[in-house]
Amino acid sequence: MWKRIENWHREIEDEQLAVLRDPSLAAQAPAGYRRYFACKLAAMSPSEREALHRFSSSVSTTAAMLALVKLCVVLSVLGFLVNLAFLRATPWWETVIIANAIGIALAFSLVGVWFNYKKIVRAKGKALMTMVALGVVGGIVGALTAVLNKGDPWAALLDKLPKTVVVVTIVVTVLVALPTILVAVLRNRHFEILAAQLKRDAEQERLARQLSETQLRLLRAQIEPHFLFNTLGAVQQLAEHGAPRAAELTAHLIDFLRGSMSDMRSEQVTLETEFGLVESYLRVMQIRLGERLRYRIDLPPALAATPIPSMLVLTLAENAIKHGIEPSLAGGEIVVDAHDDAGTVRIGVRDSGVGMSDTPGAGTGLDNVRHRLRLAYGEGACLLLSEAEPGLLAEISIPCKEPQ
Amino acid sequence: MTATILVAEDEPLMRERLLGLLATAWPEATVVAVAENGLDAWDAWLEHAPQVVFLDIRMPGMSGLEVAERIGRQSHVVFVTAYDQYAVDAFDAGAVDYLLKPIQPGRLDKALVRLREKLDSRPDDVSEVVKQVKAASPAPAREKLKWLKASVGKQIRLIDVDEVLFFQADSKYTRVVLAGSEALVRIPLKDLLGGLDTERFWQIHRGTLVNVNAIRAAERVDAERMQVLLRGSDEVLPVSRSFTYLFRE
Repeated sequence: MWKRIENWHREIEDEQLAVLRDPSLAAQAPAGYRRYFACKLAAMSPSEREALHRFSSSVSTTAAMLALVKLCVVLSVLGFLVNLAFLRATPWWETVIIANAIGIALAFSLVGVWFNYKKIVRAKGKALMTMVALGVVGGIVGALTAVLNKGDPWAALLDKLPKTVVVVTIVVTVLVALPTILVAVLRNRHFEILAAQLKRDAEQERLARQLSETQLRLLRAQIEPHFLFNTLGAVQQLAEHGAPRAAELTAHLIDFLRGSMSDMRSEQVTLETEFGLVESYLRVMQIRLGERLRYRIDLPPALAATPIPSMLVLTLAENAIKHGIEPSLAGGEIVVDAHDDAGTVRIGVRDSGVGMSDTPGAGTGLDNVRHRLRLAYGEGACLLLSEAEPGLLAEISIPCKEPQ
Repeated sequence: MTATILVAEDEPLMRERLLGLLATAWPEATVVAVAENGLDAWDAWLEHAPQVVFLDIRMPGMSGLEVAERIGRQSHVVFVTAYDQYAVDAFDAGAVDYLLKPIQPGRLDKALVRLREKLDSRPDDVSEVVKQVKAASPAPAREKLKWLKASVGKQIRLIDVDEVLFFQADSKYTRVVLAGSEALVRIPLKDLLGGLDTERFWQIHRGTLVNVNAIRAAERVDAERMQVLLRGSDEVLPVSRSFTYLFRE
């Protein structure tokens, strides 16, 4: 008999632990009270479920029973002392039973609310009403029992009933309902603060990760194999024929590689550095593409020291080559410039290539630029693309002040 | 063994390099045409019908893959690429010839040995591999032309491409023939090619693209020549030898 009870209990416990881990299992519980409780568990928020799961799996049933017995002993002593001190007229066992009833109710409410605080906090009024209502019912039942025991006439019952109900309700409210709700509110507040902190941490971590991902992408983009192999091929071809331009092209390639490697490590560079990098890139491409590429770079001295997230303008220039000039039969011109427009620095990369309609795959580079602008300036900066008749204009606008 | 060669490469130095290396490694071969973009490459192929074609994959106008598709099994194709990992893997798997840029003399020699061996046999079918590579590469998928602007007298006429019966090259212009009317557009036919749907407009001659829906019949003129009869026009269009395969049963 005892074995069967134990097995039954273990089965239920395992089932409930499983539901706490994976709420979708609730639907598999056997119909009836077990499904009902499983669904209740499944409806809790993830953090509540996790806390309850941790608690349930660390506290064994025997320990819980032992704790309950200890609680009963303490409550009984308390009830007895109260009887001695204030209620000499009442038989001592009555106060002991009442003390146990109230104490255990409070303990269970607190344990319940400790793990399921969200629901109580969401519907404080409803919880209070429920407990008061239970108090009223308890009062009526109690009074009826008392009457039946003592064999009082019904008239006396009607006389005593309201008083008993009010007393029981007040006792239940003060001793059980209010502490329960108070604990729920405090615990909820504690967890909200914790959750907010966790969310902030996660957000910061996400930003940091995005930043390093961006840098990684840049690294990959910069050592673009097509660029490298074609350029080396051009160097080899020139060198084999003793052309002086071989040395020139090598020098531009070195400038470009060195520039991009040091830029990649710094989050911010000056416009002067960035434009220098763009120029060495365009010089390399000019030698490779020959007359199909012309370019112009214009940076007003006043803007030379303006800080800007590194590699952005270069990405736009690479896009202009890859999606504007290279696909165009006749080639075209690239113009890179910057100007101060009443507190906003506008940096434009214009190509006279094939324009917007023919730029498949241009998205990732541009997304990357937009993303880094957002990281550095929030909503204060933007990248705009427009048709340039012919070709495409990509324009970055950043505030004149230092980025965040 | 002599052979005729077409070289298509958009970067001048890479072009020079391939031509220079070819001249050393295969002096008997003749480079009959050099193209700087895909459209010129296709046009030059139509003109010269070379035995061997070196095609850079990334070219303006039309990619090397698209040109190869049009050539079909009529020339031996060698692709040239700096770095298209996916294409290279597919070429390896499909035994399609390719060269990696910058081209190194030793590697070119190996490719030429293979090429010389099979020069007299029918060129391999590269269409499956090309289709596969095209589907996997994000680059082209050029927008197709929907409308053409043609000047008729003082007016600019808008022509729905689907209504065109056929296009015919007319030096720098292209003659656009519709049912009951025609117009001239100021774009050479070879530049229009890339924007037209190859499934819909068949090239039947270097200078002629015909709307498949407008073809009434194709008939044999003699052992080698064919011609196309149209719906909606009395004109008879000659089919050049390279394209008679389109009408074989």
